[in-house]
Amino acid sequence: MISFILMVNKQGQTRLSSYYEWMDMQERVALESEIIRKCLSRSELQCSFLEYRGFKVIYRRYASLFFIVGTKADLDVRALDAPGSTAENYENELGLLEFIHSLVETMDRWAGSICELDIMYQLEQVHFLLDEMVMNGYIVETNKSNVLRPIDLIDRESKKTEGMFR
Amino acid sequence: MSTQARGLNNFISDLRNSKSKSEESARVEIELAKIRKKFNPGDAKLASDGSNPSLSSYQRKKYVWKLVYIHVLGYDVDFGHAEVLALVTSKKYSEKMVGYTALSLLLRGSDPVMSRVIDTMKSDLTNAPSSSTNKKSNAPKNDAVQCLALCSLANISGLELIQAMHLEVQHILVSPSSTDQVKKKSALCLLRLTRTSPNLISGREFAPHLGNLLSQNQHLGVLTSVLSLLHGLALQQTPSYEILIPHVVHILSLLVMKKKCEREYLYYQTPSPWLQIKLLKFLQLYPNAVENHDLSTTGGGSMVGEEHVGQLIGVVSKILMETDVSDSINKSNADHAILFEAVDLIVAWGTSCPVVLREGAMKLLGKFISVREPNIRYLGLSTMAKLAQIDEASVEGAKNHQATVLVSLKDADISVRRRALDLLFVICDTDNAERIVDELVAHLVVADASIREEMVLKIAILAEKYATDLRWYVDTILKLITISGDYVSDSIWHRVVQIVTNHPQGDLQGYAAGTLFVAVAPARCHETTVRVAAYILGEFGFLIAERPGMSGDEQFRVLHQHWFTVDTGTRAILISTYAKLANLYEECRPLVAPVFAKSKNSVDVEVQQRCAEYAAMREAFSPEAVEDLLREMPPFEDKRRSALELRLLETEGENSAAVAKASIPSEVEQQRALLAAQMLSSGPIEEDMVNGMQPIEEQDDELVSKPSDEHPEDGDVDRAVGADPSGDVDGEGSAGGGMSQDDQANRVLVGIPKELIPAMRKAFSNLCTSPSGVLFENSMLQVGVKHEYVGAQGRISVFFGNLHSSPLQNFKVRVDQPDHLRMQMQGTQDLIDDGEYDSPGCTVATKTQAKLMILLEVTAPFDDAPSMRITFDTEEGEHHDYPLRLPLVATCFMEPVNLDPGAFMQRWKSLEGQDRECQEVMKLPPNAPEIDEKYMDRVSKIIVDGLKFGRCQGVDPTPWTVSGAATFRTGAQDMNGNNINVGCLVRVEANPRANAFRVTTRTLHPLCSKAIKNVSLVSIKLAM
Repeated sequence: MISFILMVNKQGQTRLSSYYEWMDMQERVALESEIIRKCLSRSELQCSFLEYRGFKVIYRRYASLFFIVGTKADLDVRALDAPGSTAENYENELGLLEFIHSLVETMDRWAGSICELDIMYQLEQVHFLLDEMVMNGYIVETNKSNVLRPIDLIDRESKKTEGMFR
Repeated sequence: MSTQARGLNNFISDLRNSKSKSEESARVEIELAKIRKKFNPGDAKLASDGSNPSLSSYQRKKYVWKLVYIHVLGYDVDFGHAEVLALVTSKKYSEKMVGYTALSLLLRGSDPVMSRVIDTMKSDLTNAPSSSTNKKSNAPKNDAVQCLALCSLANISGLELIQAMHLEVQHILVSPSSTDQVKKKSALCLLRLTRTSPNLISGREFAPHLGNLLSQNQHLGVLTSVLSLLHGLALQQTPSYEILIPHVVHILSLLVMKKKCEREYLYYQTPSPWLQIKLLKFLQLYPNAVENHDLSTTGGGSMVGEEHVGQLIGVVSKILMETDVSDSINKSNADHAILFEAVDLIVAWGTSCPVVLREGAMKLLGKFISVREPNIRYLGLSTMAKLAQIDEASVEGAKNHQATVLVSLKDADISVRRRALDLLFVICDTDNAERIVDELVAHLVVADASIREEMVLKIAILAEKYATDLRWYVDTILKLITISGDYVSDSIWHRVVQIVTNHPQGDLQGYAAGTLFVAVAPARCHETTVRVAAYILGEFGFLIAERPGMSGDEQFRVLHQHWFTVDTGTRAILISTYAKLANLYEECRPLVAPVFAKSKNSVDVEVQQRCAEYAAMREAFSPEAVEDLLREMPPFEDKRRSALELRLLETEGENSAAVAKASIPSEVEQQRALLAAQMLSSGPIEEDMVNGMQPIEEQDDELVSKPSDEHPEDGDVDRAVGADPSGDVDGEGSAGGGMSQDDQANRVLVGIPKELIPAMRKAFSNLCTSPSGVLFENSMLQVGVKHEYVGAQGRISVFFGNLHSSPLQNFKVRVDQPDHLRMQMQGTQDLIDDGEYDSPGCTVATKTQAKLMILLEVTAPFDDAPSMRITFDTEEGEHHDYPLRLPLVATCFMEPVNLDPGAFMQRWKSLEGQDRECQEVMKLPPNAPEIDEKYMDRVSKIIVDGLKFGRCQGVDPTPWTVSGAATFRTGAQDMNGNNINVGCLVRVEANPRANAFRVTTRTLHPLCSKAIKNVSLVSIKLAM
């Protein structure tokens, strides 16, 4: 399953993070900074995967933005000796690599060409968009129209209510 | 677009402009203080739920978003929960949305405030009409609220929430009125709930519902989510969901063969690759799905319909054969993602997969590992490592690519190097070990720090596993220490010491001593080298003392030059070595003495103690005792799983290919083990380890010598019966099968020759493995036994024949009833002495028999035979008292099991472990015949007919081993009312050269292992 998704700028600052497994803040900060450091230090010629502390990390770079997805073997595979456990039961690496791309394409369709600032200042919508595509560590939707439909709903509603609060 | 509150944007800008981390955290602190104050101003009254009612909706949303943002940045946020809850319970969609998002990001399921959202969440989930009071809430909006609640519930998943809501979620998933949007979210929500509390759902009941969802749905988003759920559920209860395979195959074939897919779900013309991956992952859970499938003909038995199997294989071949590199990297990646998943499916099928597919896959991977594209190469290497493990042929297939893999080992990318290392580890075997290990060692020189430790560990394991010549192994480890000694853990050099000590054959020990002498001679060398050298020279230095320049005092000198540069742990080892050197060579003593004198005052307790003890030893003990103490160490116990493998397991986890590989002993290792057995039987510790027969014999003699003074007069009935000392004395030492029945016979009986004992022991052993025979015979009495068993039950008939010229009076038999046997006895009147009243016993007339029949059921494993005590008086006034044992041993209750070699080895391995395994080496006495094939035939006959084991011939590569499997049946029942049975495996290995046998038994129960081992040893000896 997907354990976390990070969006990080090339200075290594996290702009958005979403964890699908609870982690203590201390542990989380340590893990995040180490993984980001490793990703940022790799060259374009190297592969898009790295292994760190039981996580398989898949990352992709878009200009100044890094999208980092951390995966772990399914929760219960770790506990059970399931029949399929000879295979490592990680998520499919290339699949996630292309999922990142699909995520970026969806964000592009929503905000034009997505950049760091969009993510920072549209926090609410980006979270919502991500929630539409990934839920509790699994891919839920990849159809861009389906993903964006609920966001349009919020936009419409907030326009209606705008007058009341501003 | 810009719907975000201005205050939030300003705050984010401030943070963005922070020049340093400390500036940022100062800004965060200020903001947190401000928000805290807003939430709880002190003067205003708070609402009943703890939130501040004077905040406007806009403010509340803004502050909560700030908290979320602060949390994302990595700061702990431990307040504001009341405001979050206020948002969740709000009727407005926009507030609810912020509330739920914050809820899932800020809080965890176990948080106590969760109990306060249950009601709201439940009503949101079930689409309660409460929200319809709001004018704007029309149908699609309720759907959206439902989604919010589901999403949040999935992310939080507290136990309390699950108990309150899992039924609702299940209902939403299967309800026909739910929208697609809701269905896909409820599927993943349910998955999370079952993760947190497994067994929430009964697979048998739920599988048909999932089947409906799969067959009726065209919405690929729903299918993707349902497949994730299905995969999760099937991991927990695999068999329950097997019936869904046809559905899954159908969907997969629509996507792959017909490319039937909505346009929006096409990803660069590939129909939803993520759904295809999920489908293939589900199929990997059923490795037997294609078993017995013949590509050319129809027919063959399998759980899945033959039609689907054919379809599935068609799909997999199409993926395998028709995936191409395309111009678009995205298209290429998506297609290869599916391809790799399909190869994983082939790996899961293993040997039951058609060979064409496996070979095709190997060929493809061979191509992938030579491309430049790093992602494909990485995955090619890692998948090949999995594929290579299927069987011999696939290892051979992978070995063809060895040269290519070695290239990747030198790649600039650590991820790729790791995979290459892993694959090399998998394909290494006796043929190519030297080449691969040498390459790895050569690469170690230039390898960077991040991978060194892993490499060192793996090299050490491979070198040990596949060394045809152990001298090469010693050399390799020495090289490791020289190249990167800091990464050579203690367990690695301990292993060297162990192996050298345990292999006295050849010249390994001398070679090791000589090599290490040279290695440690330079003034500078790695500390680990000093440690190994110190230990080895201390133990085996005498083997090279005659060589020029390597005498005892030279050895002392090369070691002692390092004294001042090493740490105290190493010094402690050196001190022991010095003590041994001083013991062997006169000329070393004056060299060693000052070191000891000085180190007696060392601050390190260990060093101090060793010095003090060694120095005082000569005065305190006799020279012989000192000699004994400083003699070389006995061989180490051979633990099946070496410390190195454990270390590997620690770093890589159970599922690693390398771990699986490391745990299988290689051929060379097995040969070595056999040699080690031979060595053991001639080694210095023979006295206490060789066999269990000896101690008993000694014990017998001891007891035999006692009786005359203990029982001076005959006929002392009370005392003989009441005292009953020796019958139980041997309970402990019944390793030989409890043949010491005779000791007491001697002590009371007048006129029974001691010479009878061996014959009686033989008779007992014989009876353990044969259905009838004579248990005891002297000039007065003959005891015959007939016994038969079905499962856990048995019937034993015992006949007592009077051979004397006059009747035997007061004839009584008392059978011990241990806890593990349920017995019913009947016999000649007054024969049975049940211990309750003083029965007079019966009289057995001349040339007649008394009979005793015992019906019994075994309820638990055991390892000693029940005792049976016979007492009678003769007319001549003698009182006879014979404590015997019934030939009732664990193997009586065996039922043979016929296993194919694979299954045998699998179980054999799974029963590894200290208390499950029992092993003993038995050296035949010098007058015994040679072990030849005829002897082995007899041994295997005994295992099969006598011990009632099913012979597993496929596992025995040479005529010198016999392996068998059986089930020990008991009448006891477990909680479910099934009889408890214990699976038993036995392996007899002969070493004709040493004239020794080694018996290893593995069962789930320690007593079973012990009992079977004992009976086997005795029976094998009997087969001489």
